[in-house]
Parts: sequence; C-alpha cells; structure tokens
Amino acid sequence: MKRTLVFLLGGLLVTPALAEQQVDKTIDAAANGSVEVYNTAGSITVRGWSRNSVQVTGEIGDDVEELVLERDGDDVLVKVKVPRSHGRDIDAEITVNVPQGSSIEVAGVSADIDVEGVNGDQSLQTVSGDVEVVGVSADLEAASVSGDVQVTGTGEDGDTSAATVSGDVSATDLAGELEAESVSGDVTVAGGSFDRVYFETVNGDLIFAAELRGGGRLAAESVNGDVEIDFKGEVSASFDIETFNGDIDNCFGPEPERTSRYAPGLELSFSQGDGDGRVVIETLNGGVSICN
Amino acid sequence: MKDIERDDKLIAAASALSTEISPDRDLWPGIEQAVAAPKRSRWTPMLAQAAAVVLLVGASSGVTYFAVKEEPLVVQVMNADLRFEQTAFGAEQTLGSVYRSAQGDYQTELNKELERLSPEVRADIENNLALIKDAIAQIDLALEENPDNVLLQELLVKTYREQHTLMRRVGALTQHVMVRKDI
Repeated sequence: MKRTLVFLLGGLLVTPALAEQQVDKTIDAAANGSVEVYNTAGSITVRGWSRNSVQVTGEIGDDVEELVLERDGDDVLVKVKVPRSHGRDIDAEITVNVPQGSSIEVAGVSADIDVEGVNGDQSLQTVSGDVEVVGVSADLEAASVSGDVQVTGTGEDGDTSAATVSGDVSATDLAGELEAESVSGDVTVAGGSFDRVYFETVNGDLIFAAELRGGGRLAAESVNGDVEIDFKGEVSASFDIETFNGDIDNCFGPEPERTSRYAPGLELSFSQGDGDGRVVIETLNGGVSICN
Repeated sequence: MKDIERDDKLIAAASALSTEISPDRDLWPGIEQAVAAPKRSRWTPMLAQAAAVVLLVGASSGVTYFAVKEEPLVVQVMNADLRFEQTAFGAEQTLGSVYRSAQGDYQTELNKELERLSPEVRADIENNLALIKDAIAQIDLALEENPDNVLLQELLVKTYREQHTLMRRVGALTQHVMVRKDI
C-alpha cells in the first residue's frame, strides 16, 4: 500500500514533464510578408532566416488546444490556442523562424519575447516578461509592463519606441528617432545616432551616451532619477536644463544659476556650436550631468 | 562734288532771306492784359492740401487706434470643475471633474485587467502606481511652497499624464493579448 502511494505520488510529480508536446510545423511564406505570433504563456523566440517559409518548433503544454499555423496571402498567423478557462499547463516555448524581410507582430501575456535577424517593422508586446530584440533595422515598438526591454540596432535609421513600467529599458546602437520610458526602471541609450530622442522615467535614471545629430532634439524628464548625458562627437544645440532640487554638472562651461532665492532649484541655459539643435532636461529631485 | 555745290546754293539762298519777320497784327495789348491781371490766389490749393493732410493724418490715426487699442477685458467665469490648472497649486486643490471621471474610468478598466493577471504582476503594477502617486504628492508638496514654479507645474502635469498612460497601457496590453477571439 505504501509503495503504491509513493508510486502514485511520483507519477503525479512526473506527469507535467511528460505532458509537454513537441511541435514542428512549416508553411510557405512571402519574402516580405507579415507574421503574427500570439502565445499567452511561456516564451516566444523569433529568428529571421533566408528561406521563404515560416517554421514553428518547440514544446507546448498539455492543456494547449492547438498550435495554429495558417497563411492568408502574404500574412502568416502563428497562435498557441488555449481554452477559455485556462488549464494549468498552457505554457508554450516556441521558436518561430520567419523570412528575414518579414514584418512581425508578437504578443504574449506571461511570456518572454526574443527576436533577432528580422529586417521588417516589428511590434512586440508582453505583460509580464522581458523583451529582447537584436538587429533592429526598421521601425520598432517594444513594450512590457513587468519586465526589461532591450533593443539593439544595426545603425540604420528607424522609429523606435521602447517602454516598460517595472523594468529597465536599454537601447543600443539605434539611429533615427527614439522614445523610451519606464516608471521605476532605468533607461539607457548607448551608441547610435539620433535626430530625436525623448525619454522619461519617474524613479529611474536616464543615461544617454550617443550622438545627437545636427539640428537634433533631445528631451529628458525625470521626477526622482538622475539624468546623465554624454554626447558622442560634437554637439550643436541650445540647452535648457532645470532641476527643482538637484545638482547640475556641465562640462561645456557655463555654471548653473539658482532659480529662486527661496528654492533649491538650479537652471542652466546656453548654446553650444551653432545651436541648431535643442536639448531640454527637467527633473524634480534628480541631478543632471552633461558632457561629451 | 555735286553735294558740295548743292550745299553752297542752299547757304546762299538762306543768306538772302530777311532776318526780321513782323507779326500780321499787334500782339502786345493781349500780353499786357495778361501780365497786369491780378495773381490767382494760392490759398485754394494750399487749403485743399492742408485739408487732405489733416484727413490723411486723421484717417491713419484712426486706423492705428482701432488696430492697436486693447479689447475690453472680457472676464470669462469658468466652472471651477473645468479648471485643471488648480492641480498645479498644491495638494489641497481639487482635480477637475472631467479628470476625475477619466481617472475613474481608467481605474475601473485597470481593476478588471488586474484580475486577469498573476498576483506577482498585479503587485508589481500596483507598486508602480503607488510610486507615481508618491511622486505626485512630492510635487504637490513642493508646489505648496512654490506655487508659481513653472517647472513643478510642468512636472505635475506630466506625472499625472504618466499615471494615465500606465493605466491605459496595462489595459491595452492585456486586452490586446487576452481578449483576442482567436486565442
């Protein structure tokens, strides 16, 4: 009796591991079409490849109803279909290979998203999970609520939006226009060259170490975080910096001034180079540092 | 040679003409009358010019006056509920009803969406909303001491906006993924 009970309990513990189903499906696709991927829980890995087909491989939970892979013209749909009343094993860890020229839309709820080698526009969203993208060369929108967002570009111009609530945003070697924000995490922009950058946070730090092109615009806003700006190369812009209760360190020369005899705030306005660009930085309690 | 001979003949003929020509009648009486006549008064054109100048100056002054004069100050009495700026003057000020209504709608949607999420994610979002509320309280506190500080007013408005953005984003993301008919 005791041995039977141990056997049954052991069987229950082993069951979830055995419940995973292996999947491997392929469908023809257009070279520059669109691919939509939906997976509620688990992980979504997308890779661009040189074939004109979409392949889905991985493991799906036993309570997943179906892995759908359909083509409608230039559009391909990949979805992990789960029952309306979710079972306890709806996780799916899938890898989706798509033609390099595809544009993609990827969404998850409790799922990490990892994309590399896709040259078309990308829209990546998850509620709880990290988003990581490598090789961005077109427009990108990447968002998470509870998770980090890491974006690495190829230096080609694009329009990028990267946002999270609880987590850090990291943007590396992007170019063109960037909007990045977090509530409680840091936002870091490293490398790349920009015409326009807007980034903000409530409690995190804002770090910019990249090039601001001639006539470029940069705006940084924080309530309690610090702002560190380290321009790569020459910068030509008019600067307006103001803090209510934070220091301002400036490598370009002018010293900040008190905003009022009765308040601790500092402000600094000056022009560098031809002054054709514009830099605006505002914080409540954070300090500001500007160098190149 | 022929041209020279012809010219010489013309010059000789011209020299033979009389050097004085008498008018066929006496013109002097007419000239004398015209010279002796009283001078025409110049006042008429001068008055006309002066009148024109006065008219021009008057007209241009009038145009200038009407162009630059300030419109009488029209005081528009707004419903207090519509004055969002009230939020920029300290924590004791009330938010507008429109804002409160939007806030309420967002909160209702957010609460619905939060129920769909795991306890960990829910706690994470609620912590961040609390963090934003703390930031708003900090700015409000600073505004009580510095009610005319433009930076604080801007930050307050932006932080309120951030609060709404967060609430909307959570709702949009969860709805986008979880309410799809095909999943």
